[in-house]
Amino acid sequence: MSAVDPGREKGRRFALPGLAYNLYLLRKNVLTLVGLIVVLVLVLVAVLAPVVAPYPKDAFADVHTEHRLQAPSRSHPFGTDEMGRDMLSRVVFGARISLTVGIIAIGLALLIGVPLGLFAGYFGGFIDELIMRITDVFLSFPPLLLATAITAMLGPSLTNAMIAIALSWWPWYTRLIRGQAVSLRERGFVEAARAIGVPRPRIIFRHILPNAVAPIIVQASMDFGSIILESASLSFLGLGAQPPQPEWGLIVSIGRNFFMTSWWYVTFPGLAIFLAVLAFNFVGDGLREILDPKTREG
Amino acid sequence: MKRGLVKGFIAVLILALAVGVTGCGGGSKTPPVAVYISANQAVVFWDPSDSFSNEIIVMNNMYETLLRYDPAANKLLPVLATGYKASSDGLTWTFDIRKGVKFHTGNELTADAVKTSIERTTKRGMGAAFIWAPVKEIKVLDPYKIEFHLTYPAPLDLIVASGYGAHIFDPKAVQQNGEDWFSQGHEAGTGPYQLESFKGKEEVVLKKFDQYWGGWKGKHFDKVVFQEVAEAATRAQMVQAGQADFVDNLPLEQIERLKSDPKIAITQTPSYQNLLGLLNTKKPPLDNKLVRQALSYAVPYDQIIKDIMKGYATQSKGPVPAGLWGHDESLPQYKLDLDKARDLLKQAGYPNGGFKLLLTYASGDEIERQIAELVKASFSKLNVNLEIRGMPWEPQWDLGKATKSKDRQDIFVMYWWPDYTTPYSFLYNMFHSEDTVNFNLAYYGNSEYDRLIDEGQKISGSDRQKAIGLFGQAQKLLVDDAASLYFFDQMYVRAMRADFQGYQDNPSYPHVVFFYETHRGSK
Repeated sequence: MSAVDPGREKGRRFALPGLAYNLYLLRKNVLTLVGLIVVLVLVLVAVLAPVVAPYPKDAFADVHTEHRLQAPSRSHPFGTDEMGRDMLSRVVFGARISLTVGIIAIGLALLIGVPLGLFAGYFGGFIDELIMRITDVFLSFPPLLLATAITAMLGPSLTNAMIAIALSWWPWYTRLIRGQAVSLRERGFVEAARAIGVPRPRIIFRHILPNAVAPIIVQASMDFGSIILESASLSFLGLGAQPPQPEWGLIVSIGRNFFMTSWWYVTFPGLAIFLAVLAFNFVGDGLREILDPKTREG
Repeated sequence: MKRGLVKGFIAVLILALAVGVTGCGGGSKTPPVAVYISANQAVVFWDPSDSFSNEIIVMNNMYETLLRYDPAANKLLPVLATGYKASSDGLTWTFDIRKGVKFHTGNELTADAVKTSIERTTKRGMGAAFIWAPVKEIKVLDPYKIEFHLTYPAPLDLIVASGYGAHIFDPKAVQQNGEDWFSQGHEAGTGPYQLESFKGKEEVVLKKFDQYWGGWKGKHFDKVVFQEVAEAATRAQMVQAGQADFVDNLPLEQIERLKSDPKIAITQTPSYQNLLGLLNTKKPPLDNKLVRQALSYAVPYDQIIKDIMKGYATQSKGPVPAGLWGHDESLPQYKLDLDKARDLLKQAGYPNGGFKLLLTYASGDEIERQIAELVKASFSKLNVNLEIRGMPWEPQWDLGKATKSKDRQDIFVMYWWPDYTTPYSFLYNMFHSEDTVNFNLAYYGNSEYDRLIDEGQKISGSDRQKAIGLFGQAQKLLVDDAASLYFFDQMYVRAMRADFQGYQDNPSYPHVVFFYETHRGSK
């Protein structure tokens, strides 16, 4: 769309086609690659949980108190918890819960945040002012505090935790997308669409939205880690998942009572949270670099 | 905000791995201060008339009763009363009030103060006020002699020794400062310790009352600090580090570990405390006796005792714990028998289970949670879906008292221990019909049962044997009706510093340490 920068033609990279170039960027960025691999493993583990977990039933209602608090061994690589359940199986199923929470919470937040941001940015004026002041109100609370208050009101459960997270998260997307919409609406193709009488909803969702998607993807992939952490925090506080759900935060919370005597109890779910959050952050950072035209030029 | 994420995350990880390393200091290095660390907030009710909760520990150090009961020796010890006698029909009781006792306000204890204290407690009708129900009239014979007239021969000597609702306070303090003065965090007792300060719900500090009638000649603590520390691992570390002298409610795993520490003494005593799961007898499907019986057969009692309680408990026989008079050894017990449970469900019209129940328990209580999970697993074998919900006590209780019956829980898990040493405390509070829901969270209503226990209570002062018989019949009804799951009678296991001496457990005053009797000695 823009005039060709003569300097670019000298670069070897310019000659690479899109996908190959992206892969090249990915290979150059080791952390992103590592993050991506961990994320892929997590997704695989979550999808194949019933196959991967040695004792799938232990993830939920089964209890064998005669095997309680056994140290890691060949039959229980991550040890067992105070109900005699296999910790590995619980951590594996925990991946399922955490990823589901991430997807649903982000999905909800996008569902609220994106249309509001588009309207605010496209229409401007009073609507913009109103929506942005509302987001300001939400953003003035730390997200965890807001989510805590909401779950406390709705009652503690995993579903309510997801709703609470989404409600405390959407304003970030509204802000982001509004900025995009404000600059896009002045662009020639939007003006052209308006001039030939394309209806407004169509302009907003068919012309502006697709062009604003890249930053949302970056933001969402980085938020994924934060949301996993937030849902773990809520469960840790007793406001999210309820026993016996194998939610990582909840396992760590219960494990506090045993950490002096059974080191493996908090260690493995703690590591799982650590790895998941870190991996999503690496991926988010990497995606930003790959998708950002400025860093692309290198 | 996004960049702060990793930092925040690391903080959470460190927190998860290191909770408890930083306990709050009790400044216990100066010898005459004792520190009692509890899992629960030290004081719920400041008003001695309303008291019916955790504050039993603090209250019994600030306030005193006329007598104190020692169940081990089956003796009543004189405290504010130096002696008493009962008429042969058990309807008139005379107490001699100790002379020279000062309230913390500086006023002197007289028979008038005793009368006014008890009458205020009765009139307010809160907490354990019901213990005074048999009292018709209180007469002051002279400044140090008081006479009680009863409507029926109740064991008044046990009633005046109650850990709740029987504390004597200075009525002048209420007259001068108003009815709400106590509730605002004041006290006016005669006990060895007086209130120095308190910080919200976390900490209460008592200091010695110089003019205490017992004197301060022997070895005593000058100050007593009560702290709430919710984290069990932190409590265990505090007693190990010498920041606490006495710690309650430790998970049994921690006990096993602390046993090997020579600086720690573990005491293990039978208690009058039991754990029940009150079944909602008014809400389907538990309004059907057969369903309740089926569930009673689906609790893995042995696993609870052996694996969760590590043998520090025995399976209950009915609602009255073993060791307390009125306990009936001949009562039948439900045992784990899933086939029988399935059979009963079939008879009740649920051949394949298929219903959902809600169980509530006190969040933070590890034992209750583990039992809830175990029960959930067992019920799932009957295709009964049990939702378990840990809630702080107040919301849990509020849900139990919800106006609409359908909003209430199906199973309410809670502990009970007696106010004064009588089985009536268990039988009345949890199962006697109530107009407004209080502690009958089984919503049990059975006029035959009510009659039996009321009758038993009336004669328990004069004819204990007959009373035991009536209480036994009542309990048979209750167990057959399966109004509750009876999990276990608990044994108290506590950790204290080995040099914390003079402590004697008294199951009539659960969890109470009478700090006046303790001191720090050399091992």
